Amino acid sequence: MDNAFILLEIVFIPIVGSLLLPLFGLISSRLRNFLALLFVLCSFALSLALIPPVLSGETLTFSKQLALGFNFVLVADGLAVFMACVSSFISAIIVLYSFDYISHYENRNEYYFMMVLFLGSMMGLVLSGNLIFLYFFWEMTALTSWRLIGFFREKTHVLKANKAFLVTIFGALAMLVGFIIIYNQTGSFDLAVIKESFKTIPVANLAVLLILAGIFSKSATLPFHTWLPDAGVAPSPVTAMLHAAILVKIGTYVFARLFLATFALVTDWHTIILVITAASALIAAGAAMIEKDIKRIVAYSTISQIGFIFFGLAVGNQTAVAGGLLYIMMHGLAKAGLFLGAGVIEQNTGIRDITKLGGLIRTMPVTAAAFLGCSLSVMGIPPFGGFFSKYLLFSGAISSGRIAIALVFLVGAFMTIIYLFRLFNMVFMGEPQTSRAKEKSPMMVACVMLLAVLSLAGGIFINYPSHFVQVAVQGMVGLIN
Amino acid sequence: MDNVLLLFLIVPLAAGILALLVPGKARGPKELIILAATFLNLLIAAVFFKTGLTYSFPWVPGIGLEFSLRLYHFSAFIILAAAAFAFLIALYSIVSLAEKPYAKQFFAYFLITLGFVNGAVLADNLLLLLFFWEGQLITLFLMISVGNKAAFKTATKALIIVGITDLCLMVGIALTGHLAGTLTISKINLPLDALGGMAFVFLMIGAISKAGSMPFHSWIPDAAVDAPLPFMAFLPASLEKLIGIYLLARISLDMFQLHPASWISTMMMIIGAVTILLAVMMALVQTDYKRLLSYHAISQVGYMVLGIGTAVPIGIVGGLFHMINHAMYKSCLFLTGGAVEKQAGTTSLDKLGGLARKMPITFACFIVAAAAISGAPPFNGFFSKELVYDGALERGFIFYLAAVAGSFLTAASFLKLGHAAYLGKIREENRNVKEAPLLMLIPMVVIALGCIVFGVYNKLPLQALIQPILGPERLAGHSFAGWPAKAALVIATFVVLAAAFLNHRFGVRKNGSGLKASDHIHYAPILRGIYDRAEKRFFDPYDIGLKAVNMLSEIAWQCDRAVDWIYDTLVVRVTYACTHQIKKAHNGNYATYLVWSLVGFLLVVVFLLQSVKM
Repeated sequence: MDNAFILLEIVFIPIVGSLLLPLFGLISSRLRNFLALLFVLCSFALSLALIPPVLSGETLTFSKQLALGFNFVLVADGLAVFMACVSSFISAIIVLYSFDYISHYENRNEYYFMMVLFLGSMMGLVLSGNLIFLYFFWEMTALTSWRLIGFFREKTHVLKANKAFLVTIFGALAMLVGFIIIYNQTGSFDLAVIKESFKTIPVANLAVLLILAGIFSKSATLPFHTWLPDAGVAPSPVTAMLHAAILVKIGTYVFARLFLATFALVTDWHTIILVITAASALIAAGAAMIEKDIKRIVAYSTISQIGFIFFGLAVGNQTAVAGGLLYIMMHGLAKAGLFLGAGVIEQNTGIRDITKLGGLIRTMPVTAAAFLGCSLSVMGIPPFGGFFSKYLLFSGAISSGRIAIALVFLVGAFMTIIYLFRLFNMVFMGEPQTSRAKEKSPMMVACVMLLAVLSLAGGIFINYPSHFVQVAVQGMVGLIN
Repeated sequence: MDNVLLLFLIVPLAAGILALLVPGKARGPKELIILAATFLNLLIAAVFFKTGLTYSFPWVPGIGLEFSLRLYHFSAFIILAAAAFAFLIALYSIVSLAEKPYAKQFFAYFLITLGFVNGAVLADNLLLLLFFWEGQLITLFLMISVGNKAAFKTATKALIIVGITDLCLMVGIALTGHLAGTLTISKINLPLDALGGMAFVFLMIGAISKAGSMPFHSWIPDAAVDAPLPFMAFLPASLEKLIGIYLLARISLDMFQLHPASWISTMMMIIGAVTILLAVMMALVQTDYKRLLSYHAISQVGYMVLGIGTAVPIGIVGGLFHMINHAMYKSCLFLTGGAVEKQAGTTSLDKLGGLARKMPITFACFIVAAAAISGAPPFNGFFSKELVYDGALERGFIFYLAAVAGSFLTAASFLKLGHAAYLGKIREENRNVKEAPLLMLIPMVVIALGCIVFGVYNKLPLQALIQPILGPERLAGHSFAGWPAKAALVIATFVVLAAAFLNHRFGVRKNGSGLKASDHIHYAPILRGIYDRAEKRFFDPYDIGLKAVNMLSEIAWQCDRAVDWIYDTLVVRVTYACTHQIKKAHNGNYATYLVWSLVGFLLVVVFLLQSVKM
């Protein structure tokens, strides 16, 4: 099969497939569930198929001329394929988990439709080689996430969904203006052309500022972050999708795609970004210490960890960027596990306030073990995968001489350990406060366990993702030495 | 041939995983696994002790992570010592944990920890060392948390303290790798300039925290109460001391050029001296067998840090010798404590007494180990302490004074402990207490004999194990074996020990019992208030740190709420205010609308005219 054709399939199998899901849902809900998983797995399998050519240094391109110069271009380089693999794989586990989680709620047709469309938009976004289509898919993720956050339809939920939608749309519009400024500078929306143009001229500061607003709003970074904890009203698999697999990772991806892979920023920008993300990491970690709602705690933890990812990307040398990309993967696996674990707890006890939970390790030992494993990976404790990504961030930052910022993030890493253990102890240890809640669905628990095991495997077999990431980083132009 | 080094990892780790898989209730499989694995580990440690082996393959190229192991005289020494302690404590655990439901889990974590310790000691790559070093966190947490009901809190405390210092170690390693341009430990030799000093401090935090030095100590006394019995003998008393001091010695001797003149040397001596004194002060007033021992486990680290911190050969030799000696007598002491707990059902000193006749062998082991820790000749602790004294005196009288004062209080608290637990009248409920089972006695006796051998024939450990670590250049032909060189220091030690004995006699007479022998110090005018607060954990660095973090979090939370207020309230209000104004304009009056339209139309016309003119 033609490799360029694979690119189209990765994007359009889930997008077109998602449109059909409600129809299949009318026939049989089992068939619909199965197909939803199949579409996502197709994307994943095809992304995997792209790894060998990408590792050998190839860049695959699919290009179609459209009117008005808005060419539809899909490009698969190391960075894109890495993100596609990570996102589609975690999404597949989340869809599998959804089978039992969502089985007793209304509107399941819409649920699967939106979930698969969400993933398809993500695939389109990471593979886009054109700013306009990147923006297009970006907004599609905003729309689908808006529906999914407000899935339970309660009035407050809809308000929170609106908040998420408005904040991210505001950022996206700012970003669009930034794209137009870039268009004025270079005369094209095509990333390859933009890359060539910016080899000779510097990128306009206003464009960087506007694009940053978009990135930070999507990736829930200070000061655009509070929609993310509020989005915790969504069903747990949706929050896992938002936090781990897709939504908040979009910003980090676009950061890497534009500011590292397409053009270089001046050092002042790196410093500014580092200061903002350090503040974001610390403030969110502090909020995670105070919050009492299990999903809001994990959400603040995400904001804090996103700060770490930006830390690596903004330090901008090879080690730190590799660390940042690995962090996307390791954090994605572990954080999905935490949210899905929270979903198990929430469904079986009906409680999300950690002060009213306790002692669940006795009745839900597998969930507890998996939750602990995922927590340890987020904390960065070996042999879990999070250890290596965290080390690379600090190692990279220090070799770039950014020791002061590294120390601030070190405090953030301290707090990560503390708030995650506070959460674990309050929920699983101590005296039981609820009636004996059992792990009802083996499938859901298995999904959480799988993510914990993968976090562990990610550490022990770190050489494979590490090698991949090194290749992805090599092609980047915005690296500093 | 060189890949036999992998056995040090494979044997304990595979056995540990196997132990998790076998059924836990049946007696036999799990015991067999832990005994066989620790014995095999000891065997290969002994067989390959004299060989210098290296083994290496690139694990993760591109980030400098080489899977390189190096067995040479120093690491072989630590490996062998750790293997011996692991085997003996395993033997002991089989009996002491026989009826515990968590025995299987404990054995598995025990073995996995051993594997990681082996890996950390053998690692010749800093990142690999960090991997194995920090990896012990998980089993540390699990080993403590299987203890009693409140143990998970202590386990969390341990994990947070050690986890934070491990992160410091990580930063130190990143910094060292950056400065040296390599992560291979045997190739690193850095000067202690500004950045080098910073790297050293971060590495040192990781090392002394593992060893249990202040201010990273406060989980150890809690673990003494909450964790399963053999845990204290296994980790805080022996293995953690060994690897903590091992790393400290590696960074001070090999990786950095530590000179007596540098501020880091002084800083380490201050940490050592403060640790000695404060921890032993706390030990003195404890009324629980194991808790009292645990404060000594902290206090004694002070001697090692002080010794190595002097940066003069005699002090370093003393510090390292003290490390192995401490691991011996302190694990022996914890094992006696475990035996008392198992036989008498408690370690609370006010419920013990007169056990000497009931448990004579345990008592004899206690006497040997207590004399060793107090620094009485001819036991091992005496010789290592004399070396540390000598080194400390060379650097400053005040450090010597702190070390000697520490010895006085150590001796005093062990007189109290021995008196309260083993002498005096036996209590009614302890009438039927019997000597501990044979399998528990063997490890105690073996280690106690070791304390005597390492004292009387101190040539053996010093010349075969310790002095090669410094290398011929530092030693410059000196040997520190045999009777201490300075008679004056020895006499001073005797005076101090005699004073401790007299103090004990005085305390017993004044306060009425062995348990209360230190009450005249405990309730002395100023000390009383300090002790009261210390008992209420006012000075626990962990609690202070958590309070600080909570305050920081509260501030962060307020910032977060402020940002959220902008979105949820301010933006909404501003929007409503604006729309309200616009709404007012729509008052339904036809004339008003007409005026608006006309004004708009005029503006358009003006604009068009303007553009035409241009």
